[in-house]
Formats: sequence, structure tokens, C-alpha cells
Amino acid sequence: MMITKIGLIVNPIAGMGGKVGLKGTDGVLKEAVKLGAKPIASSKAEETIKEYISKFSKNDKIQWFTCSGEMGYDELKNNGITNIEIVYSPSCKDTSSEDTKNACKKLLEKNIDMVLFCGGDGTARDVFQIIGNKIPLLGIPAGVKMHSGIFGVNTSATAKMLHEFVNHTLTVGDAEIMDLDEERYRRGEWNIKLFGIAKGIVEPTYVQVGKSCFESVSDDEIKDELTEHIVDEIEENKDFLFLFGSGGTIDYIAKKMNLDNTLLGIDGVYNKKLVGKDLNEEGILRLLEKYPKAKVILSPIGAQGFILGRGNLQLTPNVIKKIGLDNIIVISTPSKLLSTPVLRIDTGDKELDCMFVEKEYMMVVIGYRLSRVVKIQTNRF
Amino acid sequence: MLQGNPLRIIEEKFWEEKSFMKRNPNAFLKEEYEELVKNSFDWKLRILETGSAPHSVVDGKEVVMLCSNNYLNLSNHPRLIKGAVNAAKKFGAGSGSVRAIAGTMALHMEVEKRLANFKGTESSLIYQTGFAANAGLIPQLAGKGDIIISDELNHGSIIDGVRLTKADRAVYKHCDMGDLERVLKDADTKKYNRILVITDGVFSMDGDITPMDKIVKIAKEYGAMTYVDDAHGEGVIGPDGRGIGAHFGIQGKIDVEMGTFSKAFGVVGGLIAGSQDLVNFALNKSRTWLLSGSHPPAVAGAQLAAIDVLETEPKHVKNLWDNTNYFKKELKNMGFDTGHSDTPITPVMVGESSKAKELSNGLYDEGVFALPIVFPMVARDKARIRTMMNAGLTRKDLDFALEKFEKLGKKLDII
Repeated sequence: MMITKIGLIVNPIAGMGGKVGLKGTDGVLKEAVKLGAKPIASSKAEETIKEYISKFSKNDKIQWFTCSGEMGYDELKNNGITNIEIVYSPSCKDTSSEDTKNACKKLLEKNIDMVLFCGGDGTARDVFQIIGNKIPLLGIPAGVKMHSGIFGVNTSATAKMLHEFVNHTLTVGDAEIMDLDEERYRRGEWNIKLFGIAKGIVEPTYVQVGKSCFESVSDDEIKDELTEHIVDEIEENKDFLFLFGSGGTIDYIAKKMNLDNTLLGIDGVYNKKLVGKDLNEEGILRLLEKYPKAKVILSPIGAQGFILGRGNLQLTPNVIKKIGLDNIIVISTPSKLLSTPVLRIDTGDKELDCMFVEKEYMMVVIGYRLSRVVKIQTNRF
Repeated sequence: MLQGNPLRIIEEKFWEEKSFMKRNPNAFLKEEYEELVKNSFDWKLRILETGSAPHSVVDGKEVVMLCSNNYLNLSNHPRLIKGAVNAAKKFGAGSGSVRAIAGTMALHMEVEKRLANFKGTESSLIYQTGFAANAGLIPQLAGKGDIIISDELNHGSIIDGVRLTKADRAVYKHCDMGDLERVLKDADTKKYNRILVITDGVFSMDGDITPMDKIVKIAKEYGAMTYVDDAHGEGVIGPDGRGIGAHFGIQGKIDVEMGTFSKAFGVVGGLIAGSQDLVNFALNKSRTWLLSGSHPPAVAGAQLAAIDVLETEPKHVKNLWDNTNYFKKELKNMGFDTGHSDTPITPVMVGESSKAKELSNGLYDEGVFALPIVFPMVARDKARIRTMMNAGLTRKDLDFALEKFEKLGKKLDII
């Protein structure tokens, strides 16, 4: 059996702000400690490794690469793991996001197959900044906020995903890294932006090819089908402006259509040509004056499956009302829908949220001219 | 064997020498096959050295057969064999043509008349196979501007039929009428021309029956056509095995009842039953029907005899259900989870794929032939042995099989 090379990074201070009501630990560690915050990430990581060793690791072959002390080595060693290579040692005891990033740089040199990290959205952002979308990431949830789509639901689910990745029963697909301005969040303002699209671990999609014979289909093949669907949709609605939402699936479609789009922003497309790039609310409204008939293409974003309200705040209630609920096209790969079986909506506008609540369900396009209904959930009810 | 094949060696040498050529047109055959073998996704054919009987010899070993679709054991019925032999003697070995040109014999017409009568429909049409019926008819029933609404667990031949159309497609949750209605409601607002609701009658992995009466009712409200693939229900459910329409007392109300002669009927061939309009439309439009040869007289003769037997010998269907009920009850008493089947398909739930394979291998060694159904055919933790009952099995055969299930179930910690 092949040996899988896993890099492990634990952010020991992740999650400390949460228990003491600080909504995050970025820049407020000292305050958190003063308020009596205790580290939790280390024990979460140890729990995950323990669960993995006791339940799943029987025939798995892993070579571990990690950092010294609490940043990974201790958690592995305490579970009796010996084949560990230390690639990085933090210079002082109080670790920071710089240590996470430096450790990632060292891991990249080792040609690892996956990065397993323990922390929250902040740690995910740091890891993603260095690793990019070349190597899949899997997060052990230990932070205050975990909106990014790369976390296991809990420690045991994460342990199982690790095992299934090592055994190739799970595959690699897009996962959003979310960015929340903690300063503004502490003042009670939601401002979650999409930070980037990482590689995460997903359930593959299968199609029946023979009587009792199935073949797994890659995410890209499904996205090709979705592209054909959207191209048809645009051709059949020639007088419509199409707003392309943010995220990996929609980005793939835009790239296939040779549009010079943005990955994280909102773009306007008319007659298969880009007519607006990285639009803010004002830009979108201006386009809507020029092209009064419009449709918007959305895809679930992040761990909770938000289609509106996280990662695409440019699509304000005003914009959505102008476009009309019937002109929203939701698309998703089936594997993504498996991990986020409801569509979440939080527009910040009670009246608009109510309109979605009344709808209850929305059709989601999951292949070429293929759709299914999915339940809508809003945060306010 | 192939490695020693002199022709193969010459061919490979040829390609080695001709490495300057643009491409080897046949290389992918071997490469893709070897990839399948590497992942254990290739089919390893099991060879029957007897007929498909309650006791068959499979790969040289005598086994109790629990995985054929020959539910009523009609493939071995003297009247069917006689029907086939007599028809061959009288009309020859082949039919000479496609149905549309010169291959429609009086015998074919008689089967269709008798079948419609058996099913309680106005008319019927025989296709070459069940697959040919789905792949030929479905694409004609819906096209651009139409929508096909399909149960998420429908059989592969329906999925292929649906793929051949330019119609939009939507799936609803397995047997979930609320979900079906939500999809219909949405389709209704989108101004489709035609709406086609399509489902398996009996689902072959779990053995559950679709609530066809409810589907017909809901579909009617929205002006949608209904199509049921009753391959595993034909000859099995409903009074005298008349199928899903009779099972729910809605004969003639399902727009298209599709089925097969290859399972409980013990022969081969696909069928549709419905209105005369449906049959007129289907035979003029289904490309599979129009472009393949018609059944040889022996096949039609056996089909006719099968309908005869079902109409006059109710004991086969009764035996099938007696056996099914006994087998299910005993398995449950032993502590096996037999899922939520309502039919002679009884899944024996195992959990992990590797365990299901181990159980199947163990059963074969002990003289019981039942195949495992594993991921991704079913969910990862829902691997099972799928057993299919046969009316020709005796109580002694069933006790033999049950004893082996109990022995191995305990050994593998399933019960």
C-alpha cells in the first residue's frame, strides 16, 4: 500500500476568544487570557488523532510531518505515533499566525498529500495563503468561527474523513475559505467575504454505467455539464443580463466560457460577453438600469451552504428584489449538495427573507438540464 | 492465455516497430480493461452449467439459486418449453426481419392481444428487451420544452432513456410524494409543454414498491403523464401477478406500464401496456423497436405459454409469496435486518462492503448462490446480500439456505 504523507499543524491558541465572548482570537489573545480563556485546540487535535488511531488507522500507512511541541508533535506523540518528521519549530512559546504560515512553507517542501490543521477560519486563511489550491486541506474544528468549507463537523467526523482520504474513498473538490473581519464582527456587523477557493475533501459523485456498475465522475466533469446548462440558459434568454455569483463552481463556468471574470466577486455577463467585473452594489444597480431583465447565478458557499448573505454581500436585498426571486438560478455539484443539504439565506432584510421562507424550496441545477428541489433555511426564523 | 497467443505477439511487435505511427487505435481496449481489473470493477462471469433452476450448477458447483430473476421458475415450465419448441417447428428459428417491415408474425400479434387482456389495458406492444423499451420509448415521450421527473433511485435503463432526450430533467427523493409534488408545482409554473413522471415499480436494490396510486393521482392534478418500469413487479405483485396496476387496483390508469418477459415470465423481451394511442405512437416512433429484428417464433411461443400459465395456474405466484414470507420471517427471527422490502427481493443487511463480500463467498462455498450489493450501488454503510426468491424452491431448500445464513451470520458477527 502507498504511504500517504500528511502534514499536521495545530494552532494552539485557536478558539480561545470564543469561550470568553470575544468572537475570535485575532489580535485579542492577551485580553482573552486575562478573561480566563484556556487553550482548547491542542486537546481537539489530540482527540481527533486518538479517534483516528483507535477506530480507523488499522491498515492505513501515514508518514506524518509536523511542528514541534503543541503545534503538532505533542498531539501525535501522546497517541503513540512514532513516524513523525518535525519540519518547523516556533521561535517562542506564544505562537502566532506567522508560525502557521512558516510551518506551511516547510510542509510544501516535503511534497505532502494533505494538510490536516486544527483551528478556525483564521487558521484556515493562514494555511490557505501559503498552500493555495494545490494540496487538499482538512480542518479539525477548534476555532470560534468555522464558516470555511474545509472543516469536519466534529472531531470524529474529521478522523473518519482522514481515513477515507487515505483510502481514496473520498476525493478532492472545491471548498471556500471565508474571511470575516473580526473587528467589525465584534461590533455586531456581519461582513463575511469569500477569501479563496481551496481544495477540500468531498464525497465523489457516482453515475450508473451498467446494470449494477457505477463510475465516479470528477467534479470537473460535473462542472462541464453545469457550464453547458448555463450556456443554454443564456442562449435561450438572449435579452437577459446574467450576474455571475462568487465561488469555485461559477468561476469554473466563467473560465470555460472564456470570460475574464473574478473568482471572489460578482460579474455581469450579457450575450456571453463580460459587461461588468467585480461589481459592488452600485455597479450592479447601474447595470440593471441598462439591462432591466436579469438573472443571477448562485452556488452554495462555505460550510453552511449559504447562497445569499455570506461571501456575496454585494448582492444586497435591493439588488435581489430588483432581479426577482424567480430569476435566481442556483447551481451546485451533487457532492457539494451532500455536505450542505439545505440552502441558507441571510439577506439582512426581513421582508426579503420572508419571501424566501414562503418559497420553502428552491430548484437546484445539479447537472445538464437536471435539477432537484432543496429546502431553504433562513437564519431569522 | 492471451500472452501466449501468437497473433497477439505479432501484433504487439508490429506496433513496437511502427512506433513512428500516429497512434495505436486499439491500445485503449487493453488499457481500460486492465484498469477495471486493477480496481476489481470488472465483471467476472459466473457460468451456469445447467438451466436457471432452483438448484443450478454454477462454476462447477451445485447451489441453491437465490439470485436469478426467474421468480416463478417458469423458464423450466413444461408448457413454456413446449410453446417454444412447437412455435420453432411450425414457424422456424428466426423471424426474418424487423417488425415494421416483414417480421411481424400472427404469433407476435397474439401475444400482444393476450398480454393487454392480462394487464387489463386497451393494448400492448412487445419490444426486443426491457432496455430497448425504455431506451426507445422514453426519448419520444419528451423533448425540448418538456420535463421528465424521475425517482432518484430509478434503474439505469430509465436513466439512459432519459439521457437521450433534450427534455429538462428533475429528480425527486425516493418514493417521497411531497418532494414529487414540489417538483411538479415548480414545473407547472415554468410552462413546460409535457410533463412525464417516471419511476420503477419495484426498486431492485431494496425490494420496496412505489406508491403508484398516489403518483397517478398527483400527476393527474398537474396534467402529467405517468410511466412505470414494472420489471420486478410483473408476474410477482398484484392478483395472479398482473403487476403494479392490478396491485393498486388502477389497471388502465397508468399511462405507460412498462415491463419485461425476462424475469417472472421466464423468457425474454420488453413490453409496454396502455392505450391503443400509446401503442400506435410507440411502434411508429421507437427507434430501438423499428431498427432491431423481431423475436424468433420460439420466444413468442414461450411468451404466449407464460401468459397461459399465469392465467390458469395460480399456484406459482402463491408458492413464490409463501416462500418469500417464510424466508423473510425466519431471517428476521435469526436477528437479520431485512430492510423494508415488500416483495420477493429480500435484502440481508450487512453494513460494510467487505463483510458483504465475505458473506457471499462463504454462502457460495456452502452451496448457496446470492450476490453482494456494495457501495456505490448502495450507501457505504448499507452493503447487503440481495436474495431473490424462487417459486420452485422447496421448504427443505429454504431451510438449507437459512441454516447457512445463520451459521455465517454468527461467524461474521452480523447476528
